Amino acid sequence: MKKALVIQEDIIIQKILERLIISNNYQCRAISTLKDLEIEDQQQNFDIIISDILFEGISPLDFVFQIQEVILHKSLIIVTNMGQFKIRMKILASKKVDGFFAVPLDLNLIENLIAR
Amino acid sequence: MIETLLFGFIKLLLVILVMLWIIIGVSIIYRRRRTRKLQLIETTFADVISKFLYPLPGENIDHIYIQRRFRKIGVIDSKPKNVQYLIDLMIRTQRSLLGINYEKLVILFTQIPPYGASASKINSRKWYIKARGIREIYEMNQIRYVKQIIKESNNVNIYVRREAQIALVIFLGWESLRFLSYLKRKMTLWQQIKIVEKLHDLHPKPNLKYLQRAYGSDKTYANELVMRIIRKFNLITEIDYILKHIDNFNFETRESAIYCISSFYLSEEQLIVLKEKFFNIPKTAQQILLMKYIDKISFEKDLVFYKKLLNSSNELISLSSAEILWNNGFQEEVQEFYYGQYSRHPINVLDSV
Repeated sequence: MKKALVIQEDIIIQKILERLIISNNYQCRAISTLKDLEIEDQQQNFDIIISDILFEGISPLDFVFQIQEVILHKSLIIVTNMGQFKIRMKILASKKVDGFFAVPLDLNLIENLIAR
Repeated sequence: MIETLLFGFIKLLLVILVMLWIIIGVSIIYRRRRTRKLQLIETTFADVISKFLYPLPGENIDHIYIQRRFRKIGVIDSKPKNVQYLIDLMIRTQRSLLGINYEKLVILFTQIPPYGASASKINSRKWYIKARGIREIYEMNQIRYVKQIIKESNNVNIYVRREAQIALVIFLGWESLRFLSYLKRKMTLWQQIKIVEKLHDLHPKPNLKYLQRAYGSDKTYANELVMRIIRKFNLITEIDYILKHIDNFNFETRESAIYCISSFYLSEEQLIVLKEKFFNIPKTAQQILLMKYIDKISFEKDLVFYKKLLNSSNELISLSSAEILWNNGFQEEVQEFYYGQYSRHPINVLDSV
């Protein structure tokens, strides 16, 4: 079974994404921040990570780089409230992410991405 | 005697101190419990909504199940604070989603408690509750309450009628302009801008039928709003309406007309009309603004028009006209005008001596 990780501070978005992923036959782990990450999680190789970029004490771009270093994964999708053009461009230019979605968003787009 | 009094005073202070401690303790316990309760409501809401949007095979998540879950955690009519928190969560969620999930939530929120909670706020006597109710209704896209909202668009309180008017624009789009003639109270500039922006964001396709119906209104704010809409949507066919108000008797309306027309290029006929109306404007500052605009959009400078202005009795108009003529290569005309002034009023040096 494919494995996914959701990192979202907003509990409502987190739960909805978790269910969306589970309904697409993934095994999903949902957490609020990177602090909730356990040692076992870091040993996993996630097929997909859906994460926010807005966290306390770290800039959005640094957060993306930190995920690259800390968690093994195949693709990273950003779902965030912080959809400003500058941030979006910076993060897409880093070529570390496979999708960038700003809230409000149509979850069908994410479903299409993860169902591939 | 003094000792007894002092002892009594200390006792009183101690009692007050103990009471304060008790109050602080109760407050801390209440806040902790309240935070825990709100967290429980949020977690339950997240769980229920996620299950409703993405049910697993064999799961039946209907509105009865959802109602039961909410009732179980204390979201009931007798606890209005919990109900209000749930409404806030609903609005937050609806703002985050688009597409089919958004549609599903709109339908769900009409079926589960606190259905009607926002609508009942419209009947409140307090203006802030009324305004909040209207806001919640349009945030949650509950169009069925539109009739109640229409009544509030003339409310005495500015905030209530502001929310009601925005709700009408959101629900009815261009059709809401037909209520413009019936508005009895002034609409502020801020309100006009908000309405234009909402119309542009949510109903980007212009419907001239309803716009033209609003042309007949004699209210100055209605005229200003219509002009701002024409500008925002770049309605070239409706420029004549703005032109009509260029020499309006009301200063604010003229100001809006000059601001709105500045984003258009005019045809020859329209330019002639504008130049004719120019002389009816009583304020010099507005005339100068128009002169600069006419200069900007004219490919060939109308020498007759500018010479007429150059000879105006108003020095500022004359100076602006001279500046435009000078910058467009008519230096001779300007020089002729200014040197001509000396011959008209010769200074008799000998007389003054």
